Amino acid sequence: MNNKASFLEFIGGRYVEILELALQHIQITGIAVGFAILIGVPLGIMITRYRNTSNLVLGIANVFQTVPSLALFGLVIPFLGVGLTPSVFVLFLYALLPIIKNTYIGISNIDPSTIEAGKGMGMTGYQILTQVEVPLALPVIMGGIRISTVINIGTATIASLIGAGGLGDLIFKGISMYNNNLILAGAIPTALLALSMDAILGFVEMMLEPKGRRKMKKTFV
Amino acid sequence: MIELKSVTKSYSEAAKVVDRLDLKVYEGEFVILIGESGCGKTTTMKMLNRLVEPTEGQIIIDGQDIMKMDPIQLRRRIGYVIQKVGLFPHMTVGENIEVIPKLMKWDKEKRKARTMELLDMVGLPGETYYDRYPDEMSGGQQQRIGVARALATNPDIILMDEPFSALDPMTREQLQDELLKLQDELHKTIIFVTHDMDEALKLGDKIAVMKDGKILQYDTPERILKKPKDAYVEFFVGKDRLWKSPEMVYAKDIMRKNVARTSMTRTVSHALELMKKRGVNTLAVVEKQSDQPQEVLGFITRKELAKAMNEDMKIKDIMNKDVPVISEDMNMVDVLDYLAQNKLQHVYVVDEEKKLSGIVSESSIVNLITEMITDYEESKEEKKHEQ
Repeated sequence: MNNKASFLEFIGGRYVEILELALQHIQITGIAVGFAILIGVPLGIMITRYRNTSNLVLGIANVFQTVPSLALFGLVIPFLGVGLTPSVFVLFLYALLPIIKNTYIGISNIDPSTIEAGKGMGMTGYQILTQVEVPLALPVIMGGIRISTVINIGTATIASLIGAGGLGDLIFKGISMYNNNLILAGAIPTALLALSMDAILGFVEMMLEPKGRRKMKKTFV
Repeated sequence: MIELKSVTKSYSEAAKVVDRLDLKVYEGEFVILIGESGCGKTTTMKMLNRLVEPTEGQIIIDGQDIMKMDPIQLRRRIGYVIQKVGLFPHMTVGENIEVIPKLMKWDKEKRKARTMELLDMVGLPGETYYDRYPDEMSGGQQQRIGVARALATNPDIILMDEPFSALDPMTREQLQDELLKLQDELHKTIIFVTHDMDEALKLGDKIAVMKDGKILQYDTPERILKKPKDAYVEFFVGKDRLWKSPEMVYAKDIMRKNVARTSMTRTVSHALELMKKRGVNTLAVVEKQSDQPQEVLGFITRKELAKAMNEDMKIKDIMNKDVPVISEDMNMVDVLDYLAQNKLQHVYVVDEEKKLSGIVSESSIVNLITEMITDYEESKEEKKHEQ
């Protein structure tokens, strides 16, 4: 009882700081995921066109995913130093794989006869892409974006180690000061942020499901 | 007109999918490409709208070499219907049909009016179906939409790649009938790929039987049935096919050509003699004996001869002047009907100039049926051995 009350008091006293850090946190992940969409979706589309490049591209993206995030943050310091830029860069690399992979899968899973019909009746490649492939693959692509976002919100806490700021600051400060309240003040908003983004993007994904489709296979990474 | 000149498609030196193929399809013809899988029929069809590009040879549509045309423009001039339909699941029926009209910038009213007209044409009332989604519809309904979509811009040529193969037999038959009805109204040039001989015989004006990238025989269904060019075509058609399609057997195929005949001025005794010699019960009466084509003026049977008062009476005085005649191209079903309805034992067959060309009697039909049954049994035996 006492503990809980003091935790709430603690939060109450620092809510401005927490809010600022949360906004910063959103900003970091948002920029990283934004870049990952800008690069990942076209890359995913490209590898459906040149199938023999798909293993290479997905392989490279996979490698970034498997390197421990802590190590990756360390590895970029010699090249990009510390601060916002290297943090966003690492998070961007992490966000890439789910987006590329889901774009690739979403488009590859479209019934080939649909594409053949479009081509056969005289649609150009670009018209087929924009009017058929992307609309049909959109929920799957959105699924990839959602996964990237949720992963990035968690990983972004570690980015504070190289000076990115965000809610990770509170957690690491708490660890070094043996202050559980401080750790929770960073961890709980991070978790809430991840859960709410998951819910919001999940809803968006559902809304993007084409009206005519009763169900469509969803593929998660 | 569509003309393929020595068209070859090969993916490697050794394997030619289509091998120096020549084909001419005239405007308004319904042409079937048929053969076993891998014979090159679909490849041949796909070269017409350049979904597959020929390795060698020329394809000319209405005087233009299609390799010199923009493939997108070419495809928009040619309707395309495929087995799996390939409707866009995220678009309504109306949107699906209007994809190309929209890309061609037709205005909204014109698009919708055309779509409504097409939906009615394929038997799916526009008011009900315009706003539906493909996933809500049965396979047969989807393929109707597929056909409507192919007709959207009113192309002269329609390519159909096994459009009905995936449907259940009842729906398939229904759609075939409707396609024939549509074709009667629209007179499109249709290239239709199938592996189903029944379908080919039912729909085609002409059938091209293909094997190993070549056309073995390009002919009317009737001639494919009756005069298969070689053993493969015969095997592919199936020996029993004619038996199953009596409407493709005509009077001229079953008539006996050497008709026993006598002339007006002959006598009863001469006629009796002739009947005995030829082993027949009836004689056709012509103006005078000759090898030239002649009109049949009457006929006599043993009954009239028996009624004759004396043996010197002239044929012209006792013959039946009311001669039953049919044309050479009356089919077997109608011939049998005609015989039964008029209670006749025989009927004379005349050519276009009304000259006598043969006779169909009950016995000639019995002979034909016996022959067919023998063939049928043989082909059943062959099939058993193959298995």
